Amino acid sequence: MKATVWGARGSVPAPGPETNRYGGNTSCVQVSLEDGSELVLDAGTGIRPLGLAMTGTAERIHILLTHLHMDHIQGLMFFAPLFHPKTDVIIYGPASPEASLTDRIARYISAPLSPVEVRELPCQVSFRDAPDIEWQIGSASVRASSVAHRGPTLGYRITEGDTSLAYIPDHEPALGASLDSLGDEWISGYALAKDVSLLIHDAQYTDAEYPAHMGWGHSRITDTLAFAHRVAAQRLALFHHDPMHDDDMLDGFVTDAAERWRERGCDPAQIAIARERRPLDFARPRAPGASPSSASAPGSAARSPDVTSA
Amino acid sequence: MPEAQKPLELILARNLLSSISTPAFLVDAEGTLVFFNEAAGSLVGRRFEETGALGPREWGEAFGPFDAAGDPIPWDQLPLTIALQHGRPMHSRMHIHSSSGDLHDIEVSALPIVGTEGFRGAIAIFWPVGGEDGSAA
Repeated sequence: MKATVWGARGSVPAPGPETNRYGGNTSCVQVSLEDGSELVLDAGTGIRPLGLAMTGTAERIHILLTHLHMDHIQGLMFFAPLFHPKTDVIIYGPASPEASLTDRIARYISAPLSPVEVRELPCQVSFRDAPDIEWQIGSASVRASSVAHRGPTLGYRITEGDTSLAYIPDHEPALGASLDSLGDEWISGYALAKDVSLLIHDAQYTDAEYPAHMGWGHSRITDTLAFAHRVAAQRLALFHHDPMHDDDMLDGFVTDAAERWRERGCDPAQIAIARERRPLDFARPRAPGASPSSASAPGSAARSPDVTSA
Repeated sequence: MPEAQKPLELILARNLLSSISTPAFLVDAEGTLVFFNEAAGSLVGRRFEETGALGPREWGEAFGPFDAAGDPIPWDQLPLTIALQHGRPMHSRMHIHSSSGDLHDIEVSALPIVGTEGFRGAIAIFWPVGGEDGSAA
């Protein structure tokens, strides 16, 4: 399994010279399986350049939407494979008692927001509520589970052989309760992320920013680290960067996160930050307690083109 | 992957109840009392950390709800049980005794919790009644 980030920004696209290194596109991660199956996690604006890169390379594409907030679906109408008649696109998303997934997405892919309707898409497209039991896509098993965010929202766990990925880009597991005070079974997303090889997780806010945004459905870095620690993730990729966080800020953010991870007695090489067009590393860090300088030093790594470790 | 994860609806409900000072119980779809908050603990004289989860009939018996005549209220007539078994809200007035033997006159409102994947459990909110006019204390 390989995972490549095509958009790591949260809330709204944030293009510009201040965000060139980490990128301004919203949530989208490509997951390529050993058998050639292609999965796309969320359809933020990052899916547009992904679609251009994928054109003609995959006959069937599985898009797994965590939820239908705009920053997770905004790129869907600009995903080139949707306009190829021979491409089969299967879109999964959270069920809602209010309306079908098709109807809810059609609100975006319809007038006055879109010149094209869902029924006009040339590809073979189908919409499915994510099953509440584990299911198979190609060589991977996939599991979806509701997580704490505003509105129906899923996290996903993808397992292929000994490698697993948990994708929880919008998540506020510590809303109203300290993670340290909760039993495992009472932590949102715990089962999805337990012992995962790579956890891609919401890290939208600094601790100082969080009080003004409590209840908005996102995590402060302290809770992101606490969650990753509780689930014993082998690697953590900080994701869903706040649009107000420019490259220089994110350099310091991941450096601080890695240091705080070290203070927990863990290997700072386990901490990464998602950056557009860069793969994420699944490999277990070499040895607990390794010096960050022996991996890619926090901060200096962010300056360099290496996103896979902080 | 662990399978013991509580449904999100119960997790959010517990987080809410643990953050408020209104006494409240939370039961899961099987009727197990999976949490009560500090305010409820003050009312019944025990903390949840002491009792842990209680089975469907255990919690009914543990807190011994009585009617106005002092007779025990059958478990299947309690508001929380009705919310669980019939999936509808229920409100009633009753008496309970704390672990120290104190008798409390309370009103109870029970609400079912229904998630996108079906029935998840119920919440019961308690309100101690005090004063000669029966107003809430």
